[in-house]
Amino acid sequence: MPKLRHIAIAAEDPEAMAEFYKKAFDFKEVGRPNGYLADGVFLSDGTLNMAILKFKTDQLGKGMDFRGIHHFGVLVEDVEEFSKKLEALGAAHYIDQGQGGHQAGYFEKKFFGPEHILFDIAEHGWAGAEPLPAQVKEAAE
Amino acid sequence: MAKLRHIAIAAQDPDAMAEFYKKAFDFEEVRKSDGPLAYGYHLSDGTIDLAILRFKTDQIGKGLDYTGLHHFGILVEDVEEAAKVVETLGGKHYMDQATPERTGGFEVKFYGPEGVLFDVAEHPWTGTEPLPVAVKEAAE
Repeated sequence: MPKLRHIAIAAEDPEAMAEFYKKAFDFKEVGRPNGYLADGVFLSDGTLNMAILKFKTDQLGKGMDFRGIHHFGVLVEDVEEFSKKLEALGAAHYIDQGQGGHQAGYFEKKFFGPEHILFDIAEHGWAGAEPLPAQVKEAAE
Repeated sequence: MAKLRHIAIAAQDPDAMAEFYKKAFDFEEVRKSDGPLAYGYHLSDGTIDLAILRFKTDQIGKGLDYTGLHHFGILVEDVEEAAKVVETLGGKHYMDQATPERTGGFEVKFYGPEGVLFDVAEHPWTGTEPLPVAVKEAAE
């Protein structure tokens, strides 16, 4: 079964917000993304990647001043297969990871689901997030 | 360590949206709810609760017609202790579960930095994984 492994928050001050969650819940900092879409801090609770980001584009159509939970991400076994399935169910493909080649640790494709809810899918996993149970099993064998 | 165990989406049509995520990702429906705060579904991927809800009150100040990601929830060992830490760090208490004997959902809601709403609970959301320490204790 695919797994929810990423949650992204749109923040004005990712540094201060990340400090709060690190201190409050002991989440660990696992990265400092700085790309064409957003800058910020990646935290992990050991299972999920929690991205606290200052977005550079208005992905949601809610304006650049939108603050709050922005999107989530689902780890799947096969991105191509799930892309076909999502589109067959009526989801709209939004963008692919555009930076040359595969960048492990980030989204691979973004879709809009029902009611224009944005979510990512990836098969390589977000920084600091747990792999799929099948991948853990394979690695142990 | 505390664990992220709940993601809530504000939807106009939770029935249709829940169907989509069940079909798309094989998430299991673990609860349908219709309480004073919201109507909707709780899906689970075995670890996290994905709640798809039509809210009845405007908890995040974005209006009742807001659709999108709404809040998240964190499973902690001790809600009282977590509440003290959150408030010391500047988090603002919003509300408590009105029916404290009911478990499997939020227990306390807080606003963190920039008004971002999150829940805290010490009993796992229905259909989600307990904290690793609880799993370890149960195995012993």
